[in-house]
Amino acid sequence: MSFDAQRGKIKEICKDLLEKGTVDTVIGYAEGGIDGARIPCMCGKPEEADALCWDQRCVANLCTYAYDKRDKKTGVVAKPCDVRGIVNYIAENQLNRENVYIIGVDCEGMAGSDGEKLPWCAECSVKTPPVYDVRVENPDLPDKSSTKIEEPGGMTGDFGKFQKEIGKCILCYSCRQACCGCYCPVCFMDRGVPNWQPAEPGQSAKMMYHLGRAAHLAGRCVECGACERVCASGVDVRYLIREATGFVEDMYGFRAGFDTEADPVMASYDANDREIGFLGGDDHE
Amino acid sequence: MSSSFISKETLNKILKRLAAAEDVLLLAPVWNGKVLDFVTVTDAEKIVISDDIPYKSPKEAFMPQTENLMTFLEGDVLESEYDKKTVVFGAKPCDAEALRVLHAVLTDGKFQDPFFMRRFESSVLIAVGCANEKPGCFCAERGFDRTFSDFSDIMLHEDEGGSGYTVTCLSDKGRGLLSGFDETKGIEAAERTAETPAAGIKKLELDKNIEDRELFDIIDWEKATEICQGCGMCTFICPSCHCFDFKDVSGFNETKRYRCWDSCMYPQFTLHASGHNPRASVKERFRQRVLHKYLYINKIFGYTACTGCGRCIRSCPAGMNIKKVVESIMEVLP
Repeated sequence: MSFDAQRGKIKEICKDLLEKGTVDTVIGYAEGGIDGARIPCMCGKPEEADALCWDQRCVANLCTYAYDKRDKKTGVVAKPCDVRGIVNYIAENQLNRENVYIIGVDCEGMAGSDGEKLPWCAECSVKTPPVYDVRVENPDLPDKSSTKIEEPGGMTGDFGKFQKEIGKCILCYSCRQACCGCYCPVCFMDRGVPNWQPAEPGQSAKMMYHLGRAAHLAGRCVECGACERVCASGVDVRYLIREATGFVEDMYGFRAGFDTEADPVMASYDANDREIGFLGGDDHE
Repeated sequence: MSSSFISKETLNKILKRLAAAEDVLLLAPVWNGKVLDFVTVTDAEKIVISDDIPYKSPKEAFMPQTENLMTFLEGDVLESEYDKKTVVFGAKPCDAEALRVLHAVLTDGKFQDPFFMRRFESSVLIAVGCANEKPGCFCAERGFDRTFSDFSDIMLHEDEGGSGYTVTCLSDKGRGLLSGFDETKGIEAAERTAETPAAGIKKLELDKNIEDRELFDIIDWEKATEICQGCGMCTFICPSCHCFDFKDVSGFNETKRYRCWDSCMYPQFTLHASGHNPRASVKERFRQRVLHKYLYINKIFGYTACTGCGRCIRSCPAGMNIKKVVESIMEVLP
């Protein structure tokens, strides 16, 4: 019901943006996936906006496409997690605020082909876009509740389970490609000099990659779940990063993707920082 | 009951024996967490026989993701040893057809790949025909029979009663495996050939006499690839993708040479030492992937390196669809 009402409004807004020339392209969702999944769709003409969809199968995070088109004015149909990705780009000086028009859409969470809510959507507490140029409301949604991250569960300290999880990984790097926090022109895993890939390209390379990526995403993850959604091998990619995100929030009270002006926590220096993340210690409780 | 019948009970017994055999690696579909995967099986009870298609192809039995080829040690070159037998069970006919392509690329012509050959020759591929198509499947459009491929060693297809399978043996390797068990001694394999797909299905292929330059601008490749994230998962899970790279890893006194899967979807694939990259963006890389599969291999070996298994379509995070792209080329071709 609410999806239908929002869909009409999204189409109207996108059409208007393209007609007035406010943006060159609008990125939204269209039909065309397998099992009813919606796929990303780029509209350059007002009439193309008629094809836009909005329902519980709009699972992809579109902000990486906004980043690809960062030199042009781009409108994005953005769920709260997509918005947080865009905010993170802006806060990290990767995207000009003027070049992106955020059509923030209230989101009750997306579902898989079986109709079940996706796990990261079920855990999500951010139902309304924190930043937007125009907001498409869903009055039926409960108010934005606590932004505190859920207690990371599961595999803390369980090395065997970590090994088993990453054992499924085929190192295709699709989680990296789908991630809005992974925008390095050359990933550390692809560098020849220095060569970060351990000697034998097997389990040790997978450990290097997953731990390296988790460390790089500490305090930068926007919890959109794209990494796990795209994983064809069914690896629980999120749990390591969820742990790092929870740690940063406990330590510095920072959560990425809410404020375009906020200094990225891992890129700012404070002489009084006890640097427990590097030095260890149990007094951060 | 025909003599080419094997009951589910007998099949399970054989699979158990294969799983327990020390000199045999049994690769079969098993639920690995949330996904159906091809894995080395030690517990035959876990093997899944269904129309569900494992997300990854069984090509790693013939060409593992990482394979040590040789070791350089104090002036000597030591070739790696391989003495395992592999049985791939539960492959689909499309996987067997893809193996035909791998076999052609790696063994036809001037050079034979000895590392592929030793695995190919010591392995038996047991394929199970599909009863139904899954979303994303297009083997019929590619001209294949979803119930049969004569490039498999043993072909099973479910009996109408559902109590067992009809067996067809298609190679000496297959006959050898089947005659090695007491339970299957009496079985006489059925004679079968592939059926051509129903009339009215337009075959998805490109004429091999087309010059590739003609296809470089025939469709708007930029538009066709605008949602591709360039991850390369499609190439890793594809049964017929076979590009590889070498990696030399130096230890204190020895250097090992590995062969690892590579992917044309990665920017590093064509990166020159100078820094120049002839396939600089996803547009060029995806175009290469499509044309390599549908045109270049067809020109050289006479096969199209896509058997319509649909894995890349089902697993693509962005919703890319190679079938639609080839269709759009066929539409505008004269």
